[in-house]
Amino acid sequence: MTYVELHARSAFSFLEGASLPEEMAAICSELGMPAMAMLDRDGVYGAPRFHLAAKKCGVQAHIGAEITGADGAVYPLLVESRVGYQNLCRLITRMKMRAPKHAKPGQIAATEEELAEHAKGLICLTGGDDGPLALALSKKGAGRGAVARLLKIFGPGNVYVELHRHFCREQEARNLAAVEIARRLGLPLLATNGVRYGTEPEREILDVFTCLRHHKILETAGRLLARNAECQLKSAEEMIRIFADLPQAIAATRELSSRLQFTLNDLGYEFPKYPVPEGETMMSFLRKRSDEGARKRYGSAEPDLRTRARRQIERELALIEKLDLAGYFLIVWDIVRFCREQNILVQGRGSAANSAVCYSLGITAVDPVRMDLLFERFLSEERGEWPDIDLDLPSGDQREHAIQYIYERYGKLGAAMTANVITYRGKLAAREMGKVLGFDPETLDRLSSLVGSWEYKDPKDTLERQFRDAGFDLRHPRMRKFFELCLSVQDLPRHLGQHSGGMVISQGQLDSVVPLEPASMPGRVVVQWDKDDCTDMGIIKVDLLGLGMMAVLEDSLKLIRQDYGEEVDLAQLPADDAAVYAALQKADTVGMFQIESRAQMSCLPRLHPQKFYDIVVQVAIIRPGPIVGKMVHPYLKRRQGREPVVYPHPSLETVLARTLGVPLFQEQLLRMAMIAAGFSGGEAEELRRAFGFKRSEARMKDIEVKLRAGMAHNGISPQAQDEIVQSITSFALYGFPESHAASFALLAYASAYLKCHYLPAFTAALLNNQPMGFYHASTIVKDAQRHGLKILPVDVTHSDWLCTLEHDQDSRDFRLRMGMRYVKGMREEAAHALVRERDRGPFDSIDNLARRVLEMRKNELTTLAEIGAQNSIPDADQKLLPKKSKFHRRDALWEVERVARKSGPLLEDLTEVDSSSPLERMNNDERLLADFRGTGLTVGPHPMSYRRAEMEARGVRRAIELESLPHGQHLRVAGCVIARQRPGTAKGFVFLSLEDETGIANAIVTPDLFEQNRLLLVSEKFLLIEGVLQHQDNVISVKAECVLPLQITAAQTISHDFH
Amino acid sequence: MDTRFACIFVPDFPVEAVVRPEPDLREQPVAVLEGAAPLLRVVAANGKARALGIEMGMTRLQAEALPDVLLRRRSFLQEDAAHAALLDCAAAFSPRVEATAADTALLDLAGLERLFGPAQKITRDLARRASELGLETNVAVASNPDAALHAARRFPGVTLIPHNKEAERLGDLPLDVLAPAPEMLEILDRWGVRTFRALAALPEVAISERLGQEGLRLQKLARGAGSRPLVAAQPPLNFEEAIELEHPLELLEPLAFLLGRMLEQLCSRLSSRALATNELRLRLQLEHQEETFERNLRLPVPMQDARLFLKLLELDLKSHPPGAPVVKLWLAAEPAPPRFAQNGLFLPLSPEPQKLELTLARISGIVGNGRAGSPELLDSHRPGAFRMVRFHPPLPGRTKISTTNGDLTMALRIFRPPLLASIDVQNGCPAKISCKSGQGLQGQIVWAAGPWRASGDWWGEGNWMRDEWDIAVRQENELALYRLVRELITGKWFLEGNYD
Repeated sequence: MTYVELHARSAFSFLEGASLPEEMAAICSELGMPAMAMLDRDGVYGAPRFHLAAKKCGVQAHIGAEITGADGAVYPLLVESRVGYQNLCRLITRMKMRAPKHAKPGQIAATEEELAEHAKGLICLTGGDDGPLALALSKKGAGRGAVARLLKIFGPGNVYVELHRHFCREQEARNLAAVEIARRLGLPLLATNGVRYGTEPEREILDVFTCLRHHKILETAGRLLARNAECQLKSAEEMIRIFADLPQAIAATRELSSRLQFTLNDLGYEFPKYPVPEGETMMSFLRKRSDEGARKRYGSAEPDLRTRARRQIERELALIEKLDLAGYFLIVWDIVRFCREQNILVQGRGSAANSAVCYSLGITAVDPVRMDLLFERFLSEERGEWPDIDLDLPSGDQREHAIQYIYERYGKLGAAMTANVITYRGKLAAREMGKVLGFDPETLDRLSSLVGSWEYKDPKDTLERQFRDAGFDLRHPRMRKFFELCLSVQDLPRHLGQHSGGMVISQGQLDSVVPLEPASMPGRVVVQWDKDDCTDMGIIKVDLLGLGMMAVLEDSLKLIRQDYGEEVDLAQLPADDAAVYAALQKADTVGMFQIESRAQMSCLPRLHPQKFYDIVVQVAIIRPGPIVGKMVHPYLKRRQGREPVVYPHPSLETVLARTLGVPLFQEQLLRMAMIAAGFSGGEAEELRRAFGFKRSEARMKDIEVKLRAGMAHNGISPQAQDEIVQSITSFALYGFPESHAASFALLAYASAYLKCHYLPAFTAALLNNQPMGFYHASTIVKDAQRHGLKILPVDVTHSDWLCTLEHDQDSRDFRLRMGMRYVKGMREEAAHALVRERDRGPFDSIDNLARRVLEMRKNELTTLAEIGAQNSIPDADQKLLPKKSKFHRRDALWEVERVARKSGPLLEDLTEVDSSSPLERMNNDERLLADFRGTGLTVGPHPMSYRRAEMEARGVRRAIELESLPHGQHLRVAGCVIARQRPGTAKGFVFLSLEDETGIANAIVTPDLFEQNRLLLVSEKFLLIEGVLQHQDNVISVKAECVLPLQITAAQTISHDFH
Repeated sequence: MDTRFACIFVPDFPVEAVVRPEPDLREQPVAVLEGAAPLLRVVAANGKARALGIEMGMTRLQAEALPDVLLRRRSFLQEDAAHAALLDCAAAFSPRVEATAADTALLDLAGLERLFGPAQKITRDLARRASELGLETNVAVASNPDAALHAARRFPGVTLIPHNKEAERLGDLPLDVLAPAPEMLEILDRWGVRTFRALAALPEVAISERLGQEGLRLQKLARGAGSRPLVAAQPPLNFEEAIELEHPLELLEPLAFLLGRMLEQLCSRLSSRALATNELRLRLQLEHQEETFERNLRLPVPMQDARLFLKLLELDLKSHPPGAPVVKLWLAAEPAPPRFAQNGLFLPLSPEPQKLELTLARISGIVGNGRAGSPELLDSHRPGAFRMVRFHPPLPGRTKISTTNGDLTMALRIFRPPLLASIDVQNGCPAKISCKSGQGLQGQIVWAAGPWRASGDWWGEGNWMRDEWDIAVRQENELALYRLVRELITGKWFLEGNYD
């Protein structure tokens, strides 16, 4: 006799279950159970993962959910048919969408009428401790009535009387009553274990979750916690033994399981049809649009390219037609068209850039035909998957605009955002586990700060040691338990969030495919599945991703239009701009997209980009794939002619020629498989996925066997086979697609072009979109200043909320005026009010400003005074005392303090008898401190410049001098630490960037030196480093031998650490 | 008339309080920890400890990494004693003493010159006297209390500020000595005003316009011109008696004699102030032991009966003997207003509180501390989990008798403690029992229901797991029902009770 578990919750019941669906499926398979039903609370959140995992291990996955009823009971519902599934999704959507904002768990509930309305195709169990039967039995004599009511709602044959045996007296008493009721009403009995976790030890996690749900700690949670650890998945033998007196209840599980025919393979999802004019089909309409686009894109191209393009487009259209995807392309085209009309920058990225149709439709900006990109990476017949088109949009309002357009067009129940499941990781796990163990807030802070500060973990850097360093003793049982709990909750879901840009669209009712919920952002709806689940379930999605650099480009273009009176078209930028390549070759790339990091900078001079394709390589090469696969050095050496260009096999020359025989891109890996082993495009893509993120040993082995067989067939030597297999395996996980690199390279080029030719506008746009990129605003400001841009401080008589451009009267150049968004604590509405009032007439004193701009708060006035933003208000003082030296920051502070202390109306107009301030002017260090405190940066001299004489006396070189010094020279450098990194791929080496008034010096710290100076290197803001200059291939760095702290200023400079 | 004020300030007070009874520690680096394990933190340290790297807020483990530093737990008792000593020191010189803070005392020196000599001498004497009382202090004398206070808090050793030289002498002190509100300090810091001198120099009207009365007050202080009156300390309601013995006492009887005398003193002092006490604290210094032996007696109602107190103390000491000869003893009474209560005329008589207390103390003496009182059920799945709380007889007339709804329920008679049993198990079920303790039980188990399983407290040391079985055993031709329990951690079986 077999047993099927038909009532199990997973961790996707959010704090009411403790195991992942995959884990449950695996245990089922181990126990030899043929099927299992997963019923999560008010949702099917974990269903796709359960479905897929179960499929893999040969277990049949039944779907269902526990629905909270308005009477407080929990109704376990099993899906029998597709109608039942659709009813369940609609029922959940209905109750979720109706719930008020910040609803408490009990407030989201289905009424009896709603249950009845959606009952078709669903089977109801009478539930466990919180089920409708148990609830009724607690009221004397109501049990039979309750079951009869369920019969009325769900119909005869669709109600099973559920029995649990967790070894509790009260439960057994209920079971006796239930058996009697079943006998009287002629209903079948059904044994289940009311599973809440896979294995016994996970009961601890469930107890912890119970505490979190009730905001209790373990010590005081008392009987809210589980009575025992019996809610795990149990084997058939065990269940049969437990229910030895009721064999029919066990037999019923098998019988009911065979009734449940529905699986998630049978979802019934349809992608929406694009409305086309009469007489057109979607395909004919798409053909016309892509012909139009192709004429524009390739009209003036050389004949050969034109022919190739036409052929490629035809090939793609044929496949699109065959796979019936015309609607999808038209819908994406429609979104792009909307953005263009609204002047929103948009660019497709990802594998879509491999498609000539996408290029023609204006979805992507990279020409895949000219670049010879691999279409199969985007779409293949074999794969039976939807193509993936990601659109990059400017982050912020513009992206929101596009999202709202989709909602409007497809209706509230036709489009939704994909979910983002927030899981327990490092800090969150530490914080919550500490909380339930009753640690105080201060300890919680210390504990959670222990988690994950470095990307790289050296072998000595065990958690035990980290705990000890922070002053905690892991030998203490409670600490030990904390540690164990943190490990065991890793990756369990905590709650549902909203993915930043993934949208799913459906023909008709999306709510019958997957339940919808209101997102925390007003006006947003989110599905219960994350984007991977949606992909796995074959639901098509469009990713609308917010990209900071897109916003910077868009803002730059606006400023150029507005202030320079010029129009720059990013699609028409000159392809070989000398200034751009000169800057890249010097690694002068602060602020440029994707090529500004320290690692990129140290590679740029070696790679020495000379044409656009070099930028594509540059974007892709500093990635874990090439680094782990040890491709970087061979490529650079070959590029510099220090190593011959050779190929693993002569047949691969066509694929690898442009990367000098070194595979750098995912497409090359696919092509290698296609050429060397005779794989089809689809098979090759299958290979990439097998080695990708969700890799499985068995699948990888299968593919490798196939790969080797193909290569052997093509006469490739075993040695070359090894080499090819090695490069494919190391690469598939992290490799960067060439199409994606090309899309990013376009943005990198555009950002470089704007920085080289329109520095003021580009810098302003960059500053207006912070935080983004690799550097803090203060570094961007200093870099722009070194490039000759004059940057003016915040000034209430000139500044807007955003940074703006001003004309220099003398030189006719642009200067950049810092905006009030950089004033700490300043609210946008106050800044706008100030500008509005200033436009009506200038402020003649601080008092006048404060009285006119009522929105301004005292702390805002004070900060403005402190950073000198009020120094140019023509103060009454100056009129009275023309000889007085210039109004300074402390004068303003003195005045603000009087103005802010409101006197009564009677004395309001009384001016101060002697308003001159007795305060001393700030000295350099105080000004620096005030600048950093008030704006996080300074537009004045670099802190190091005040100490240059002293530095020179100590033999410290300036950053700019390093390039003229010989390799191997022993020297000292010093500066403000602007970046600290310890990459996972660098074996414990630490890279520091030190900024002084002349530029940035890079230093490399060995793991040993780091170990000796850990605290210093991690926390000091200014450092002096002594070491040996390494000057090779125009890459300059100092290999540190000794590190010293420097006391330059108390100002809170900021560094970009450890990312 | 000349007004002079002195301030005595004890730097690193929590450390001083700990060091005071152990003068040998003075020469060593000492840090004081506060909090509950495992989260002890450093709250104070002396200069030597700081020089070795001790910082405030360090955890115990971090502090232990500096092996030369002696770590001590913070003792509020010793701090109270140190504070009392500080006040004693001040009171020995002046009748007008202000207990400004735990570590600070101010005293008015007006008219004391004839008694003690000139101010210089008084200052030195004060420091010497404090030192004799085991306190290392800063002492400062100035024309007003605040100036003296600020000087003492910042200038080490002895400081004498001549008349009208306050502003000059204090000018370089940083403003945080004035302990202004953080916002005020922030404003002044922004202004670049960081010393007494800089604040003193600002125009008064402008200060009043910007910082209000509080600003003016601070400025006055910065000018060394405070003129507040002393808030003379009320002699604290400190009912404590202490006796230092020449020879250690080994027997309870002579100790009881001394205690009796002290109690009489205390009761008469309480009586003179129309007070009673609801708590007696006895502290004994034992021979060759660092830590003192302490006993607290809490009383249900405030009382004033020396004989009763003595009896209670005797009973308590009998059940908790100090374990070593006594060299010093302190006895303190917590003052409380006496109880005035009259029971209702027709209410049943409850035992007199005094007698009840005595009885409870006697019971405790026999069964052990924490084993007498009222049980309070704990919110736990562990059957019978409870803790003992102080015995509170139910208030008359408030008892609610629970009524059953007519259902027949079985009563379970619990064996306390449960009886160890030996069980034969067949097919996972108990089949045969043999229990020698109690009245003895032996035989086949003819029927068993269970297991009823429960477990809990897995996160700590109190982890427990148990299976319960309800069994029937044939005894003298009739069936008897029992509850059988198996502790799953030890694997032992117990007979926990029988069903009526």
